[in-house]
Amino acid sequence: MAVLQVKNLTKKFGSFTAVDNISFELKEGEILSLLGPNGAGKTTTIQMLLGVLTPTKGEVYYFDKDLTSNREEILEKVNFSSTYTQLPGLLTVGENLSFISYLYNIENRKQRINKIVEIFRLKKLLKEQMKDLSSGQLTRVNLAKAFINYPKVLLLDEPTASLDPETANYIRNFLINEREKFNISIIWTSHNMAEVEEVCDRVIFINKGKIIADNTPEKLAKTIEICHVELNIPDGLKRTIEICQNQKVIYRLAGRNIIVDLKEKEIPEFLKSLMDKGVNYDQISIDKPTLEDYFLQVAKKN
Amino acid sequence: MKTYRIYALILRFIYLFKHSYDRITDAFYWPVIDLIIWGLTSSFFMAFSPNASQIILIVLSGQMFWLIVWRAQYEITVNLLEELWNKNLINIFVSPIKFSEWITSYIIVGIIKVAFSFPFAMLVAYLLYKIKIVFFGWYLIPIIILLFMTGWWVGFFVAGIILRFGTKIQTLAWTFVWAIGPFAAIYYPVSILPGWAQKIALFIPASYVFEGAREIIYNGYTDPSKFYISFIINLVYLILSIIFLYSSFKKVLEKGLIKVY
Repeated sequence: MAVLQVKNLTKKFGSFTAVDNISFELKEGEILSLLGPNGAGKTTTIQMLLGVLTPTKGEVYYFDKDLTSNREEILEKVNFSSTYTQLPGLLTVGENLSFISYLYNIENRKQRINKIVEIFRLKKLLKEQMKDLSSGQLTRVNLAKAFINYPKVLLLDEPTASLDPETANYIRNFLINEREKFNISIIWTSHNMAEVEEVCDRVIFINKGKIIADNTPEKLAKTIEICHVELNIPDGLKRTIEICQNQKVIYRLAGRNIIVDLKEKEIPEFLKSLMDKGVNYDQISIDKPTLEDYFLQVAKKN
Repeated sequence: MKTYRIYALILRFIYLFKHSYDRITDAFYWPVIDLIIWGLTSSFFMAFSPNASQIILIVLSGQMFWLIVWRAQYEITVNLLEELWNKNLINIFVSPIKFSEWITSYIIVGIIKVAFSFPFAMLVAYLLYKIKIVFFGWYLIPIIILLFMTGWWVGFFVAGIILRFGTKIQTLAWTFVWAIGPFAAIYYPVSILPGWAQKIALFIPASYVFEGAREIIYNGYTDPSKFYISFIINLVYLILSIIFLYSSFKKVLEKGLIKVY
């Protein structure tokens, strides 16, 4: 069941088209990543999904209801966190969570705030003013704010940016668990491709305002055929280079290592040709294409 | 309208008030300084014209009543600026809050602040000059309501301009209301204004209130029609200013709340 349906969404700023007729769905319990280079239209899309930017054309439906005419009811069940927005700097963390909690119809308000404080490890920060927090602490408060109303749909704009690796990992696991326990649906933007591969079920790739790909991270990565094969060659490096040149294969050297770009199906044949020439390698690693390779290829094309 | 959402924003500004020395200064320090300076100036003038026994009451009541206009508009415009400075508008409007709840919270915050700073100014005026504003009796009710209305429409109009053009014109939040001050005839009768200015004063609802207040000081009563006229003009301006603010808000949504600062 789709909790969010986006139909022909378009946003023009004067003659510039920031988002160009995009349509997609977010299923219940799905974590969907919006990926794309800077200026691709991700933030503009998210703003339209939150109702804080009026689309030039198109419609947004949550739970089969139109956002424009059911804004109040829908936004009770939706929330948002971004590293690029702020909460009032003079207010303490506790005061911010308190006033935000009253914007939503929450039962057991105090209990919910206490739970959120515990989850996002904010107890020691409750009396600190926002202006005195580090960027990582601010990100945690923003995430806490986004969870305060038991959201059914969460829009997270770079949720783990500025977090140290341990906290980022903790937050990722928390979000995955929340999804499993409460079937929350999440739209997630990030520039951390490894994170997207780990967390997201599906990736929508936006470029120049258009959706250019919509698939699982694995399938998108698989559209890149080239693997990086790294060999440590104690003896026979010159012969290996000759083989590469003869087969017109792209390679680069790193000390006694050679890294060769090959299609997956070409690897056995290449290794056989090394054996035929008497080249011995004592280590081999094959890096399969990743989402990052896909991202880089698309960025390069554009 | 949901009261808990209005309460959320009131709470946000009460918390801010607690932490902001600027806000505390605005609420208490400036009104006292104004009362001291204007009170002493009036006493000095009285020394030259002992017949003008009401001069202190006229000047200080004018000053305190103007505090209501100023405070009501200030709470709208400066609270909006606070949201823009903090880039907090998006956090508010990704919640279910409605436009009507948003502006209602600004109005209530203004009333709360006046409820503190006006009695405080009354107390200071009494302690320093033995001036009792309660002298106005029941007339205080329409006077206060009408001056609040003036503050609100000025505030909403300026807030609409700030929303459209951002903080680069934030000075209007402090200065705009003073542009109507000379025509509101706070301390002097409208009749001493030049002819063209008297015509403008006809369209300034606060001028009827201050004229009425002076009549009460001199005669103990005033013609209620002054207050009716003021109410009607205030109401028209208030409706127009809310429409203008709403249209500015819609305009802002076309470029995105995240881009307003």
